[in-house]
Amino acid sequence: MAKPLPEITSLTRPLWEGAKRGELLLQRCRRCGKHQWYPRPSCHKCGSLDLEWVKSSGMGTVYSFTVIRRVVGNAPEFSSDIPFVVAEIDLDEGVRVYSNVVGVKPEEVSVGMRVRVFFEEAGPEISLFKFRPAT
Amino acid sequence: MPISEKVVISGYAETPVSRARTDKGEPRLSAEEYYAMALNMLLKQTGLDKKDLRGQGVGVAGAVWPHAEIWSAELVQNLGLEPKYLVRADHGGANCAALILSGMLAINSGYVDHFLVIGADAPMSVSGEGPRTWRYELDYLMPFGMMGPNSMIAMVMRRQMHLYKYGAETYGKISVTQREHASLNPNAYLRTPIKMDDYLASPMISDPVRLLDICIFVNGGLALLLSSKSSGRKITEKPVALRGFGSWHNPGSDESLQDVTVSGVVEASRQAYEMAGLKPSDIDFFNPYDDYTAAVIMQLEDAGFCPKGGAEKFLKETDISYRGQLPVNTGGGQLSAGQAGMVGGFHGFVEAVRQLRGEAGDRQVKDARYGMVTSLGGLAYGGCFINNYAFVLEGGI
Repeated sequence: MAKPLPEITSLTRPLWEGAKRGELLLQRCRRCGKHQWYPRPSCHKCGSLDLEWVKSSGMGTVYSFTVIRRVVGNAPEFSSDIPFVVAEIDLDEGVRVYSNVVGVKPEEVSVGMRVRVFFEEAGPEISLFKFRPAT
Repeated sequence: MPISEKVVISGYAETPVSRARTDKGEPRLSAEEYYAMALNMLLKQTGLDKKDLRGQGVGVAGAVWPHAEIWSAELVQNLGLEPKYLVRADHGGANCAALILSGMLAINSGYVDHFLVIGADAPMSVSGEGPRTWRYELDYLMPFGMMGPNSMIAMVMRRQMHLYKYGAETYGKISVTQREHASLNPNAYLRTPIKMDDYLASPMISDPVRLLDICIFVNGGLALLLSSKSSGRKITEKPVALRGFGSWHNPGSDESLQDVTVSGVVEASRQAYEMAGLKPSDIDFFNPYDDYTAAVIMQLEDAGFCPKGGAEKFLKETDISYRGQLPVNTGGGQLSAGQAGMVGGFHGFVEAVRQLRGEAGDRQVKDARYGMVTSLGGLAYGGCFINNYAFVLEGGI
């Protein structure tokens, strides 16, 4: 059992194609102008179906995080990564994204830390967006 | 006035259909995309804005491939709906009828003014690699190594500790006290008393969540019977009344950056207290939903027993055992008595009824008249819990 990967659908194909190019894309509503994450078929603010993909600055702030110390309910392949950090990151565009914060010891991650996106190849079609300290 | 004179159907929508024959140019869409289209069409037809549906009723039908145990919660999250009343039908061909009935009763009772009945499915898209449901977990949580709800609540607990400077012992007090209650409950699964040192030494699972912060899953079954007051009196001399209740779903639906330390129990309990004509100081015991200790802390605050951020001080000053000023989860809760799989929250209601009938044995709360039970369900992506309920139960009626 390999680590789980996102499934590409007609809805999410632009996101993963963007990630392969090294761009983090967000949905933005053409009607009300609101960004949203995660990708959905309609705007969670106004209900419009008229959404466009826009490029994120890739900059964000750690809102909260956990240090995974036990594999429960996910692929055993994560065992070799323990301990690792998954964080809620508030992007500068005003949306909250879950991802890993790497390149720093888990005990040095903190709420409020500034982070910047990078992309890590996870399969032929998938590169995952991950984050490192911005400094 | 008969119900038929009080409830009407005020709008409708029907999306284009497809058999997902892409070779014929037909679209291959997911159930969620059809849900979004149906809602969008209904809004256009009725001229309503989505915010007009805030605080109203929503009933959703099941789907052929809903991976989510919390399907209705996932849908309102996806659609950005924020209902007061949320139900899912699993009545097969009678789904729509069942939802209309729920809606009529909810409107007739004055609980809501509008009730959106909505159903969509995409069975022809399911076979092969077709779009699946519960996408936010499959695509945006699990690939990063999130470990289900343990790691979701860890985000909440970390935030509580950051904002309110709560120490681990605050969570430990919940764990230790509920275990004491469980030791007095012959039905509890974990009955060996624990001390604070045991709590602090229990292994970190998803830091800051320890093993003893987490409920224990068990096999089991629970039930309650609701009856009309007159029929209930024929069954028992000790009926328990539903004195007040409230509910709220997907709070802060249009906010992307929510405060995850605040739940919809704030609104649900406000409704419940108002209906009951009571205030927190009138409550004799409190059974909050306890999948995790952090959820108990949040509900102590959100149901008004202490201010937001004041739980550590409250727990230092307050005995929450069955002997104390505010007994909490007197049966041991799901942390120690156990949660029967997806039968979440039943334990707290059954224990409340037992207490209010004076049948709680060695852990009986003296002179218990009013018990509050609150429920949380469905940890949201980047948010708090989606489903929120509060009930005030009264015994001795």
